[in-house]
Amino acid sequence: MAFLSEPTKAAPAVGDGASAVPSSWQVWRYRLKVASREPTTLIGVLTALLFTYLIVVPIISIVLDAVRVQFGHERRLGKDFGDLTLYYLDRTFTSPVSVDLFWRPLFNTLSVAVGAILLSLLIGTTLAWLISRTDMFGRRWFATALIVPYMLPAWTFALAWTTLFKNRTVGGQPGWFEALGWTPPDWVAYGRFPITIILALHYTPFVILLFGSALRRFDSQLEDSARILGAKRYQVAMQIILPLMRPALMSSMILIFAKCLGEFGVPYVLGLPVKFEVLSTSLFRSIASRQTGVAGVVAASIMLIGIITLMIDARLVREARRFVTIGSKGSMNRQSRLGKLRLPATGFAATIFMLSVGLPLLTLFLSTIMKLPAQFTLDNFTLDYWIGRDLHTVALQTGVLLSPDLWAAAKNTLMIVGLASVASGILGLLVGYVVIRTPVRALSVYLRQVTFLPYLVPGIAFAAAYLSLFAVPRGPMPALYGTVTILVLALMADQMPYASRAGISAMTQLGKDPEEAAQIAGAGWFRRMMSIVIPIQKGSLVTGVLLPFISGIKGLSLFVILAVPSTDVLTTYSLRLVDYHYTQAANAVVLIIAAIAYLGTLAAQKLTKTNLAEGLGS
Amino acid sequence: MPTINLRGAQKNYGVNSANAVSNLDLEIRDGEFMCLLGPSGCGKTTTLRMIAGLENLSGGEIRIGDRVVDSIFDGVFVPPEKREMGLVFQSYALWPHLTIERNTDFGLRLRKLPKAEREARVEKVMQALDIAKYRDRYPSQLSGGQQQRVALARMLAVNPGVLLLDEPLSNLDARLRLEMRAELKRLHKEFKTTIVFVTHDQWEAMTLATTIAVMNEGTLQQMGTPNDIYDRPANRFVAEFVGSPPINILSFDKKDTSDVAKEAETYLSSRYPSLRGIGSVGIRPEALSYATKKEDVPQGSFSGKMVVTGILPTGGSWILELRSDSHTLFLTTHALPRLELGEKVRFFAPPDALHVFDKDGQRITEADKLLRSAKLN
Ligand SMILES: Nc1ncnc2c1ncn2[C@@H]1O[C@H](COP(=O)(O)OP(=O)(O)O)[C@@H](O)[C@H]1O
Ligand SMILES: [Mg+2]
Repeated sequence: MAFLSEPTKAAPAVGDGASAVPSSWQVWRYRLKVASREPTTLIGVLTALLFTYLIVVPIISIVLDAVRVQFGHERRLGKDFGDLTLYYLDRTFTSPVSVDLFWRPLFNTLSVAVGAILLSLLIGTTLAWLISRTDMFGRRWFATALIVPYMLPAWTFALAWTTLFKNRTVGGQPGWFEALGWTPPDWVAYGRFPITIILALHYTPFVILLFGSALRRFDSQLEDSARILGAKRYQVAMQIILPLMRPALMSSMILIFAKCLGEFGVPYVLGLPVKFEVLSTSLFRSIASRQTGVAGVVAASIMLIGIITLMIDARLVREARRFVTIGSKGSMNRQSRLGKLRLPATGFAATIFMLSVGLPLLTLFLSTIMKLPAQFTLDNFTLDYWIGRDLHTVALQTGVLLSPDLWAAAKNTLMIVGLASVASGILGLLVGYVVIRTPVRALSVYLRQVTFLPYLVPGIAFAAAYLSLFAVPRGPMPALYGTVTILVLALMADQMPYASRAGISAMTQLGKDPEEAAQIAGAGWFRRMMSIVIPIQKGSLVTGVLLPFISGIKGLSLFVILAVPSTDVLTTYSLRLVDYHYTQAANAVVLIIAAIAYLGTLAAQKLTKTNLAEGLGS
Repeated sequence: MPTINLRGAQKNYGVNSANAVSNLDLEIRDGEFMCLLGPSGCGKTTTLRMIAGLENLSGGEIRIGDRVVDSIFDGVFVPPEKREMGLVFQSYALWPHLTIERNTDFGLRLRKLPKAEREARVEKVMQALDIAKYRDRYPSQLSGGQQQRVALARMLAVNPGVLLLDEPLSNLDARLRLEMRAELKRLHKEFKTTIVFVTHDQWEAMTLATTIAVMNEGTLQQMGTPNDIYDRPANRFVAEFVGSPPINILSFDKKDTSDVAKEAETYLSSRYPSLRGIGSVGIRPEALSYATKKEDVPQGSFSGKMVVTGILPTGGSWILELRSDSHTLFLTTHALPRLELGEKVRFFAPPDALHVFDKDGQRITEADKLLRSAKLN
């Protein structure tokens, strides 16, 4: 068109000076003003410092131990204490003793883990399928019952196993089979075989939960579509179901592997008599024999393997997200009819339950009320080991319930684990708050990651790291070894991944609206915390305390390295009883722990109405 | 409350992201019912949150009366809890652990009012909003509309100088929305508060506001009374955003040789030779009429020939779709159109119904005078 001259624009009036670009100094001053108005960022900085000290520094310290001359080796190495050296790496990885120190334990760890993974996958997938996709009898009951092994400490089963299979290789009361006249061979009684079986049974619930939930989310229409297009049953299984289930399977395999890596109690109880060592027990031995440098190398190796494994897992999880859309909630979840196999299938589930829960607990219980093993006559039964007096034993002369040691240990447990879990629950919520609310992104990212770090480090290695840092006084910090403080701190740090994750997810769910509404209504920071945030988050705070409490109660690996007789907790107390061959008393203590852990888990589940699958790994 | 003034207000959520709000100048006077109107994502919520102090500025400043409450230049930031404002969230954000009554008196308790006075005020707003009977319930036991009232009551109770509302009606069903609109208008009268109301719904803005501020992509497009916005849109964005069915735009370029374009060119250049730089012309569908015979077209009106390609009844009125070459026009009529599809008709509109925009889409204000005087001749 022909209208060519310049148009007149109605340009919006621009405010005077205000629209000028602020100088960077002005921007910083303003940000500082905004950030300093509320304590959020200050709290964030303080917690970040705290966790740097409690998590990062110990890990660095143990890695440094691995490459620096340790006390007492100065002469031999011709260097000063603290100088850099490759001696410990060399000793652990290449010297003649490296086979005993590292390579054989590594091989044993791997072989036990692989065996346990295969076995639990085999049992777990079958059970998961039976529970979630078939018309097996008592599916709902089994769905809960088969998870119970995971609520109990793993070495409960190890003790049950020794109670049954112990042979004359070791002193003390013989096992039931020995007492009945059949001597179990060593490979049955100790070492790789029982450890593998027990770990497999203990971690089968992982598979049932993860695989089962993937199966339940699986849309039957996907199967149907393939069937309609003419695919046979096995083709559907191989080409549709299996590929979609792979992330869940891989994830449970990797979780089990990571758990086996740090498992201490089971190989300690069952491996020691035949010198069957895994990495965690080898680390324990290095620490017990004060080979700090070697311990550093082994611990760092365990951490490295753990970190690599969980990084693989994180990657898988990210990939699995691509499949997330497959789970449409409204989808029909068709059940297969088992027909003639219905009864045998139920029998299989019942057998697994008996083997993984019924038998071990029953054995343990019976062993605590019988004087001689496997002698089922009435006069052999007694409650002495629980509540007896004047027993003619060397040390433990009363029933375990009357022994002051038990109550001291129980008191310690409650105090140490209780303090640690209250602290980690509160810190977790704080971390969640800061991570979600702080305007300083770097702080949020750092806090999130640093509190997650202990998850990558098996407990036994973490404990070793604490020992390395806090065994001697450093700076203003006195030596903490042997104190309650070190246990509380280590336990707290160890639980932070779960606590902070719970806190972050609770704060994410809450969103910022309720708090901002209070702010608009005139409430300052402290007021908002007290009247809005904490009351709303009461439930998750309770979980954030309860879950670490349960896992702390049954935890062993941290305590076994960091506790001394005066700070005995229930787990180390029972382990000590095992060492002294007070089988009945040891089993009784373990039963008490198992009962607390089980009831606690149930209570947590009731309180939070969540299912265990979400709390996996705690 | 004194006038709230935003000057060159700017918000940037990330170093590398585009401005959510840029260089915004806004004046909200006492007692006004101002609507921030714009498509989703244009920065309305951000603006509201900056006023409340929930979002920090990346540039510019905010004043209340003579007092600077937020400024990078002066290093001033008055936190939300000190600004004495009310904000109703889109999600309502009721506190789930407090009863309706405790939700409502939360702010008054903070202000440490004597018990009797507090109770009287809570009673008054609960009555005004008809929620007194739910006082002991928890938010989860109320329906969306009821929760919405509680969210309002909670803010009204403290008698804020200004009430900020972020799409408060968008979660309600159509009937409830209508009721709440009337309610809001009533409350505005009764409590005499300044209200800033965010919405992407033009009808809501038209029916409620005393002033509308139209925003797009973080910038203010136009501020004015509802009639201003509708009758004299400052640019093509405002013209096209407000009105349903949307305004017809005939845009021209040199290569356009269609009949309609030629007719428009002749019409405008012969009558208004002083008009230059026209990029497009807008005509509202309801300003258009049609005639089947050329004689019926009034003298001096803007007109053209087109073909009927659609007749859409909308209940009581009809929308006609007219086409010619690449141009399409919509026309609203209230009389039953006795037309066939494919029939040739002439559309026409009085000259003062034309909105003339330059090539950048800005209104050519000079055209308004010319076109209006044309009608008088
Ligand atoms: N918290 C935030 N972080 C990053 N970007 C945001 C955030 N809030 C809003 N935005 C972006 O700013 C722009 C304006 O958003 P908003 O003010 O919510 O728009 P409206 O309320 O008009 O829909 C959008 O592009 C949006 O994606
Ligand atoms: Mg919005």
